Amino acid sequence: MATSVAPRPSGSSELTGAGKDLTGAGGTTPSAPAGRGRKKPVADVRKRVEIALLAGPATIMFVGFVILPVALAAYYGFYKWQGYGAPTDFVGLDNYKIIFTDPDFRGVLTHNAFIVIGSLLVQGPIAIILALLLNQRIRGRGLIRVLIFVPYVISEVIVGTGWSLMLSTSGAVNDLLQAIGLGALRNDWLSNPDIAIWTLLAIISWKYIGFAVILFLAGLQSIPEELFEAAQLDGAGYWQIQRRITLPLLGPTIRIWAFLSIIGSLQLFDLVYIIWGQYIASTAGTSTMATYMVANGRNSGNYGYGNAVAVVIFLISLAIALVYQRFVLRRDTAGALTEKATR
Amino acid sequence: MTRKIRATAAIALIGATALLATGCSSGGNAADSDGKVTMTFWHNSTTGPGKAFWEKTVKDFEQDHPDVTIKIQAIQNEDLDGKLQTALNSGSAPDVFLQRGGGKMNAMAQAGQLMDITSSIGKTAKSEVSAGAFKGYELDGKTYAMPVDVNPEGIWYSQDLFKQAGIEGTPTTMDELNADIAKLKDAGIQPVAVGAKDAWPAAHWYYNFALRACSEKTLNGAAKDLKFTDSCWKAAGQDTKDFFDTKPFNDGYLTTAAQQGAGSSAGLIANHKAAMELMGAWDPGVISSLTPDGKPLADLGFFPFPEVSGGKGAPGSMMGAVDGYSCSAKAPKKQCTEFLNYMTEKPVQEAYYKAFNAIPANESAQSVVTEPYLKTVLEAYNKAPFVSNYLDTLYGQNVGNALNTSVVNLLAGKGDVADIVKTVNQAAAKG
Repeated sequence: MATSVAPRPSGSSELTGAGKDLTGAGGTTPSAPAGRGRKKPVADVRKRVEIALLAGPATIMFVGFVILPVALAAYYGFYKWQGYGAPTDFVGLDNYKIIFTDPDFRGVLTHNAFIVIGSLLVQGPIAIILALLLNQRIRGRGLIRVLIFVPYVISEVIVGTGWSLMLSTSGAVNDLLQAIGLGALRNDWLSNPDIAIWTLLAIISWKYIGFAVILFLAGLQSIPEELFEAAQLDGAGYWQIQRRITLPLLGPTIRIWAFLSIIGSLQLFDLVYIIWGQYIASTAGTSTMATYMVANGRNSGNYGYGNAVAVVIFLISLAIALVYQRFVLRRDTAGALTEKATR
Repeated sequence: MTRKIRATAAIALIGATALLATGCSSGGNAADSDGKVTMTFWHNSTTGPGKAFWEKTVKDFEQDHPDVTIKIQAIQNEDLDGKLQTALNSGSAPDVFLQRGGGKMNAMAQAGQLMDITSSIGKTAKSEVSAGAFKGYELDGKTYAMPVDVNPEGIWYSQDLFKQAGIEGTPTTMDELNADIAKLKDAGIQPVAVGAKDAWPAAHWYYNFALRACSEKTLNGAAKDLKFTDSCWKAAGQDTKDFFDTKPFNDGYLTTAAQQGAGSSAGLIANHKAAMELMGAWDPGVISSLTPDGKPLADLGFFPFPEVSGGKGAPGSMMGAVDGYSCSAKAPKKQCTEFLNYMTEKPVQEAYYKAFNAIPANESAQSVVTEPYLKTVLEAYNKAPFVSNYLDTLYGQNVGNALNTSVVNLLAGKGDVADIVKTVNQAAAKG
């Protein structure tokens, strides 16, 4: 995303461009440009063939690997099905009834909501401050930028394994606390149901804050220098400049980052699955919608039920994404998605 | 226009390639015109002597049966079930594959995926493999798999650590076990290791309390209706909770795995960091792979699960699983069942014991067992009036997983005894 930001005269219009790219990737396939030359049918046919040829593979992939699985999941979700042979035991909306009355599922919704909100509240402010700092001319800036970005680059499997070893009851963190005389703070970081989700939030923040910082830095770089100069000439102080100029102009970047963060939090699976394994995430209070689906679908051999859970997750994520696009991202994407209406 | 034709051709080519590729992979069990048969064989021994054992067994079998070729595919244990399910679903099932029995086997049998081998069981298998071992592979009077080893469960302990804590003999009742645990704690030794991260090791404590509290009829009856209505389920839960409340387990048991690495429960035993653990008879093999020198633990001992007074279970009953192999319904019947029968021959079974350090299903091959702890296991096993399959296998994945998780919840103080029964009933609704 950051790479699509090219220097242009006006900061806001350029960030709109970034927003356009994102919404394109977010699900709407860009409509093919309509052929103009109606008087030249040969060229017209040729153009259509070309479009079909170029868009064909992508369309086949999209239909085959996105649309079709969703439709199949919806179909299997109406059956009790153990995964052997074709499903035969049609139960209508029974699976959905069970999902919404299952206290475990309500639990995972709470956990997911906690992670969505927690990620925004923790990572957002810290990342903005770090980005403002790193946008200054300070010594070792490049190195610090790289270091902040490193956790984001490391694979989730490594991060999960590493932290779970360090945070286990007899792990390095507790040993360190003991060694520096803070033995009273020793804790079952991963297995105490009261704090496990806070541990998860801390690990997520550590891992993904680099991504937010890089995004914000890119956003900051694109704010034209003249605006700051003008503000300075008008006698604005450092904090005034940040509040009145930097933050508003960084708005589109922040909104896009928040969108990515929300989607990422809703889909969270790998870290939880690696640190808490297949079975005890719900006991520790860190299970997410995705781990619930795997635990109650695949691991339990209830493929029908698991598919119903997948449909519910899909609808929840879709609803949140659409609401966010409609009410928050609208001003950034105005002109990209609403082109025809404004004309 | 030529472009369009080319595009169509390209798409057709891609489609044809895809069809060809899937067509190739689904073959494998068809007999050639000259009577030669090729079978695929899936097992879960990807390393070491186990892998070598199967390679040799297949080679020897092929030598006796020149018209049969067997293609071996060793699949990592945790991946096996998922792959098998996909293969069975897509009609490209392996001809011979590892069978865990219980609810999972019932699902495969009911879907018509398994060969009924009842009438093909050979002479050796009939006379030398105990009827009890076959019991786990029977459904409605038909046998669907051939047992190759038996894995009765009990408590594995370090004789040195018991001595260090001043314990003489092994406990036979819960009171004695609790007293021994107190002694171990006083000596500064972690008494019991449990890999609760994998859920089932903790749940096995509940299984054994249920085995003591419930009758054989109740345990097997629940496999049919999946309802835990008998009061013994709750009594077993209470026994489990009482035991958990004595805090017998290692530090951080909730994030301890069962078998991976020195920090796992088997690793704690292997490195003398904990005194005992409840586990099936595969444990000596796992422990010996985790000792500092990679050799079997010298002071390893075994005792059966202690008796609990007042229960309806027959004293001396054991939990235990059987490992075995099934033929796919589509496999060539004669050759496939011949291969299954060959697995139970005495020399093959003796080699099996040496490769896996497990108790062979063939009773005449059991005489080669030399380790004292395995002899103790055999003694208890041969005396046991009733051997129940592990409850998570017996009741199928769905209820089994929910049961395991609810026991872990109890252990973490997140639920109470009544929740075990409630969770099981809830899970049964999902399946």
